[in-house]
Amino acid sequence: MSTTKRPMSPYMLGPYYKFQITSLLSILNRLTGVFMSVVTAPLLLYWLVALASGEEAFAALSAFLGSVLGMLIIAASVFSFSFHLMGGIRHLIWDAGWMLENHQVRSSGWAAIIGAILLTLVVLGAGL
Amino acid sequence: MNMQNPLARVRGTGSSGEGSHHWRSQRYSALILLLMTAWILWLGVSLAGADYAFASATMSSFFNTGMVILFAGTVFYHAQLGLQVVIEDYVHIATLEFALLLIVRFACLVAFLISAIAALKLALGA
Repeated sequence: MSTTKRPMSPYMLGPYYKFQITSLLSILNRLTGVFMSVVTAPLLLYWLVALASGEEAFAALSAFLGSVLGMLIIAASVFSFSFHLMGGIRHLIWDAGWMLENHQVRSSGWAAIIGAILLTLVVLGAGL
Repeated sequence: MNMQNPLARVRGTGSSGEGSHHWRSQRYSALILLLMTAWILWLGVSLAGADYAFASATMSSFFNTGMVILFAGTVFYHAQLGLQVVIEDYVHIATLEFALLLIVRFACLVAFLISAIAALKLALGA
């Protein structure tokens, strides 16, 4: 018996596993989730608190959100939301036991990418 | 409701030490958020670039107040569960891992409480 501590689940990054659409979307789902947890959700919370605090705080935040940095954060948040939504739907379908064949996982992956980009463009376009 | 197989219970709670509770909670919260997608998109688009009067009027409606509280509770719970998995997977220093998990739990709880207070303040016009 080897005494090395083996990982309990396959580690998809690094030289052990070929980088492909499945691993790309897996890490993207995590990255978008972390981004929304660390940036988007606190921003939404700040927005709500600023609105509840009064006109002055709300105007200051609105000015920041209208700046280039603000708009970049909004665009990244909308993309993260769209991608995490599509990735989440994909996971729920798998959890139901469906679409688990390799070719289905690849095609649902491309559908998630295209869907996320389209939803991002529609939301950003509608919000302008 | 118990969706755990009796055999799974006999065999113990697996490598996580807490069975499938975390996994199922993540899925249930995801489902609730999925059902709220149309509302959050509508709200986001209609409030983009809104002035103070319109935004506070929108956020003080009974429906939106309730939805904000439900949404914040589900989002911060789902975020806590997700961040927990990421920390457990990538942080291998036991003390740091424990500290981060504690901070995430506390921050998500506080974030939910602040959301609820702000939503109620808007609703009551205080």
